[in-house]
Amino acid sequence: MSDLPRVEPLGDAAFLVVLGEGTDRRLTARVGDLASRVRRARIPGVRDIVPAYGSLAVFFDAGSDAAESIAEALALAAGEPEGHATRSPGPLHVLPVRYDGPDLAHVAERTGLSPAEVIRRHSEPTYDVHFLGFAPGFAYLGPLDQTLVLPRRAEPRRRVPAGSVAIAGAQTGVYPLETPGGWHLIGRTETVLFDPTRDPPNLVSAGDRVRFLPVDP
Amino acid sequence: MIDVLKAPPFATIQDLGRTGYLHAAVPRAGALDRVALAAANLLLGNSRDAAGIEWGLGGGEIRFERDADIALSGARATATLDGQPFYVGRAGHVRAGKCLHVERIDAGAWLYLAVRGGVDVPQVLGSRATYLPAGFGGQGGRLLRTGDRLPIGNAPTKSAQLEEVPPELLTIGIDEPIAIIPGPDRNLMSNAGWDWLIETEFRVSRAVSRMGYRLEAPVSGPALPGDRPSAPACVGTIQLPPGGQPIALMPDGPTVGGYPRAAVVASSDIGRLAQRRPGDPVRFRPIDVAEARARLRRQEELLRQLGGSA
Repeated sequence: MSDLPRVEPLGDAAFLVVLGEGTDRRLTARVGDLASRVRRARIPGVRDIVPAYGSLAVFFDAGSDAAESIAEALALAAGEPEGHATRSPGPLHVLPVRYDGPDLAHVAERTGLSPAEVIRRHSEPTYDVHFLGFAPGFAYLGPLDQTLVLPRRAEPRRRVPAGSVAIAGAQTGVYPLETPGGWHLIGRTETVLFDPTRDPPNLVSAGDRVRFLPVDP
Repeated sequence: MIDVLKAPPFATIQDLGRTGYLHAAVPRAGALDRVALAAANLLLGNSRDAAGIEWGLGGGEIRFERDADIALSGARATATLDGQPFYVGRAGHVRAGKCLHVERIDAGAWLYLAVRGGVDVPQVLGSRATYLPAGFGGQGGRLLRTGDRLPIGNAPTKSAQLEEVPPELLTIGIDEPIAIIPGPDRNLMSNAGWDWLIETEFRVSRAVSRMGYRLEAPVSGPALPGDRPSAPACVGTIQLPPGGQPIALMPDGPTVGGYPRAAVVASSDIGRLAQRRPGDPVRFRPIDVAEARARLRRQEELLRQLGGSA
């Protein structure tokens, strides 16, 4: 599409920079790269930079006069030639997991795999951290092994315990806090992914990598 | 110290919220009606982002251990200070040992109590705002309880310019339309779908929280896809889930979401929407970003008259 990348308003206190649609791994990486470039550009007035699938939100103080200059700077950053894969991969986090989640048997049944095979296919890849969302410190990780791709649960749980390792669609993640949730719970980790008394409070960031290490239940 | 003698049904410590952690999926949090909190603070010579009590749903009583200057703003309420009527929008001096008693909230949803020097709970991630879903900030990350003791800070203050909050900043105006800007996913809707959003008189549902307000329409809106790839959202985003009943995101709301973003409430109007109670009507009026900025500038002027610049 010729109108991409596109800078458009998200209300009166943020802009979206749209690079494309979908959850494709390369597109997500391009959004991550753009987020890094915008962060490095230190555009005056920018308060928050939020990457997601296909687009990036850049927040500023709605009351300031900086909106126009921010939009111009974003259009420039989005138009820059993208680094020739110069981005070095972010830090690797290895999270020990007890694969004893309440949905493990169900996932095995739905995928036609044995529980041991589900565990193997989940713990083998090194995942990209696409971005954080949903709840503080919650990282969307992917891509998941094709054979493990399942739609979300029809009925979300009202309470998912903190540390639950879960899958849904082509994604996996860890619930950092007890929240409601609709993903399939296959294990749990003791690693603390979010601690508001730390700064930064989140253990993993967009662009980092994550591996799950099976440990005995 | 402030002694909470009788906790209001739903009260938290709030300032104007956090900056710089949205990428970690930490929402801004902070006052639902930022203008009301800022006005109460400025009336006392506080900086506008000093922490105060966001006081919701009903009455309560607090006692001041030492002399203090306080102000109420936001919702209409019936209150007494040491037994004498105390009015929303004016500052007052309270002597040591005396009580502020809020009998009831008469109109609007959220009353803001500011105290000269600010409520001095510890900062978490740069803010004193309570974020209930993750249980941090404010008073232990939770609602105020009877028996709580809240420290008063000694942050520098200056003298206010006015003795009352300008009436324009205190208007609850539940019949006035809420200004919205077309959202990034406006184009997923047909023109008829957009007209539905603009022409419907919604009601605030009983499902209101600091994360979001569900709005009910007599006739559901367009059924848009509900499982789109997660995209950034902001405070004021009006999501349209597949059921066709909108949700307006509030300061504790998610930073990204998969529901179509039909519109975004203008920053100037988020507090006005937040002040509506379950059952109150909501109509929307579309404006462009330039008009949204003009509305905000007008609000800023009024706040500046109260107590100096941002």
